[in-house]
Amino acid sequence: MISQAIAPSASDLFLPRPFQVTGVRRETSDTITLRLRPPDGSAFSFRPGQFNMLYLFGIGEVPISISGVHPRTRDLEHTVRAVGYVTRALARLRKGHIVGVRGPFGHGWPLEEARGQDILILAGGIGLAPLRPALQYLLAHRSDYEQIVLLYGSRTPADLLYQLELERWRGRLDLHVFVTVDRGDEAWRGHIGVVTTLLPLAERLLDLRRAFVLMCGPEVMMRVAARELEDRGVPPERIFLSLERNMKCAVGFCGHCQFGPLFICRDGPVFPLPRVRPLLEVREL
Amino acid sequence: MELQEPVRPAPGQVWRMEKAQLQALLDALQRRGYIVIGPRIQDGAIVYDEIQRLADLPIGWTDEQEKGHYRLKPRRDEAFFGYAVGPHSWKRFLHPPVLSLGRARRNGQGFEWIPTADPPPRYAFLGVRACELHAITILDRVFTAGPYVDPIYQARREAIFLIAVQCTVAGGTCFCASMGTGPKAPPGADLILTELPDVFVVEIGTERGAQLMAEIPCAPAAEADRSAVEAALEETARSIGRKLDTTDLPGLLYRNLEHPRWEEVAQRCLTCGNCTMVCPTCFCFTVEDISDLAGTQAERVRRWDSCFTTAFTYTAGRPIRQSAKARYRQWLTHKLASWWDQFGTSGCVGCGRCITWCPVGIDLTEEVAAIRQTDGERR
Amino acid sequence: MSKAEILEALRQHPFTHDMEEAWKESLAEIARMQTYAPDTLLLREGRAADAFFLIIDGLVAIEMFVPERGSLRLQTVSAGEIVGWSWALPPYRWEFDARALTETKALVLDAAQLRDRMNRDCALAAWILSRLLAVVAGRLKATRLQLLDLYAPAPRRAS
Repeated sequence: MISQAIAPSASDLFLPRPFQVTGVRRETSDTITLRLRPPDGSAFSFRPGQFNMLYLFGIGEVPISISGVHPRTRDLEHTVRAVGYVTRALARLRKGHIVGVRGPFGHGWPLEEARGQDILILAGGIGLAPLRPALQYLLAHRSDYEQIVLLYGSRTPADLLYQLELERWRGRLDLHVFVTVDRGDEAWRGHIGVVTTLLPLAERLLDLRRAFVLMCGPEVMMRVAARELEDRGVPPERIFLSLERNMKCAVGFCGHCQFGPLFICRDGPVFPLPRVRPLLEVREL
Repeated sequence: MELQEPVRPAPGQVWRMEKAQLQALLDALQRRGYIVIGPRIQDGAIVYDEIQRLADLPIGWTDEQEKGHYRLKPRRDEAFFGYAVGPHSWKRFLHPPVLSLGRARRNGQGFEWIPTADPPPRYAFLGVRACELHAITILDRVFTAGPYVDPIYQARREAIFLIAVQCTVAGGTCFCASMGTGPKAPPGADLILTELPDVFVVEIGTERGAQLMAEIPCAPAAEADRSAVEAALEETARSIGRKLDTTDLPGLLYRNLEHPRWEEVAQRCLTCGNCTMVCPTCFCFTVEDISDLAGTQAERVRRWDSCFTTAFTYTAGRPIRQSAKARYRQWLTHKLASWWDQFGTSGCVGCGRCITWCPVGIDLTEEVAAIRQTDGERR
Repeated sequence: MSKAEILEALRQHPFTHDMEEAWKESLAEIARMQTYAPDTLLLREGRAADAFFLIIDGLVAIEMFVPERGSLRLQTVSAGEIVGWSWALPPYRWEFDARALTETKALVLDAAQLRDRMNRDCALAAWILSRLLAVVAGRLKATRLQLLDLYAPAPRRAS
């Protein structure tokens, strides 16, 4: 999955390649996961945390983080929530359809740097999507890391992504998974509350002063969580966030994804906290 | 000491050319296959467009500019380049307002891109001001000096022949002297012209500039010509009315992101985006995918975009910069502060276009001065 | 469970672990260890707030019973946290239900005796109330964040 190939060549910088949809999995009422295969059947190399631009013929293109590979077929996977014109069309794709892919772009999670350390993964809502490839990588290289804890917050039990995989992860002895929802239902016997309320549980399993934290979710959640993590002793340079803006060109030319001096597409989407903390405090930046 | 007179123009030398010989220069460019783009009058403004002959130039006209004000006025003389700058900039030829990135056709379930092999146009730019040369250098950094190179910009840029003309009048809204971008042209042009009452003084910047001049009747410049050029530039610099104090400009803006002045300017700003369209360095574009009604052909187009639109930051269902305050602040802090972080240079060259073409006359030099005066104030 | 074991539990629990040893010993005298089977209530809305729960193990839900909808869960409290603060405020009456979702072990302090000890020792009272305030603030913040409904679907744009 991790390879040296991190960027497309200049010639196909702006034009997506047609990939085949080899499967569609419904995750929730408004979210699906697409399974995609390159035209020549070759493997798609990327780093966990990177994103692709997904294109529909004549309709448009949107940035979507890579959500890993299919556990069996190793096909590229993208989890898409239908929120806009293009994503709603993406959510209607069926097996056999073609979708354009441009990428991978951006910097991923610091998985090499975190080797030998405790890992805390904090996901909120669809924020689990860019963290799934990191988790897949960590589990494939399990012995290279110490404790791994996943804290995952969701709106309701019906909004949980990757439910089968989540069950498999929960069943593992070498991975601690805690899931919480904002609102439970009758069948829900688990945690209820924001994801940060799970931090004391993580703290019992790993040493926060030495852990790497990988985090993705709504910006408010990350802002609050970053403060709490720091209060609990996580060194800020070990807290990594994946940010979202409307990437259009994905290579730092079009200006849309600027966040202060940063281009989210080119300098991110994953950033260490100290690089973005002052920017997160500014409203409507 | 006896100087040996050069017989052929060479880079670094200064020559003089009768004004009428500019036609010979146009002819020489056209013989080389260049499309000459220069100033001409259109719709009551001096714009940049194709030039065939000297009569196309705005001879005898000048531009009166103030905040939110632009008028052409006849001059008392027959100066060829007796104006400052108009609403156009060279950006529109290097980074066109609308540009096709490719066409695709449906192919069963899928699609395929139709190969296009259009060579980039060969433009000769005539009348590039000092600030505009700086602006082109800034665009070079944006599109060709980062981790990715924009092949479209690069191909267009490499094909350009650059003829600068130094300003002998200051525009009503410019402040190049504050930005260190004029009126004297920086190196980089093939030729740098200065228009004196009777002649053009021509500094030769490159070998191909020298070769071009070798085809045109001209003579080495006299010492008097050089000092006349210096005097003209000094007079231009002196007559520049606006100033921008650039002392730690990035620091000033970064520490004043919550300054009340942003609210105040937002009361006036119409968020029309004119300033971004006329700016010679604003590079933002959007990517649009369009298809024919039958859905068999599609095209991908890039089109200038503006950070003043709410759609610009539309992310996951809603725009991030919703208030006019946030959008004006983005534009100004990008130009004067974050541009430094991104490209190692200012994004502003002091041409004054954003001041002239703002329909409500917002003047960025005034906005910065207001913030500087009450540095640290927070709402 | 012996007093020594209860004292040890007080030393281990995050709420009391850095409390003065003498106070821990005093609290040990009014504490008992209790195990709640899944689905049993630790406390119930409207009843006298007569206990303070330090959760040792398990998971507890704060609930409210809504006619026709049943018991709605608002928040959960995990091992290492506390349940109940109504015992510290007159009229000492529970405002919500607290239900064990899994088998839950809790150290239960007798509230009347705890209040009595706090009345006699202002320093102890200040210590416990300030810690309790931090817990209340944390829960309020979590509740407010829940109210934001951060993961809600974005509004559909007319397009």
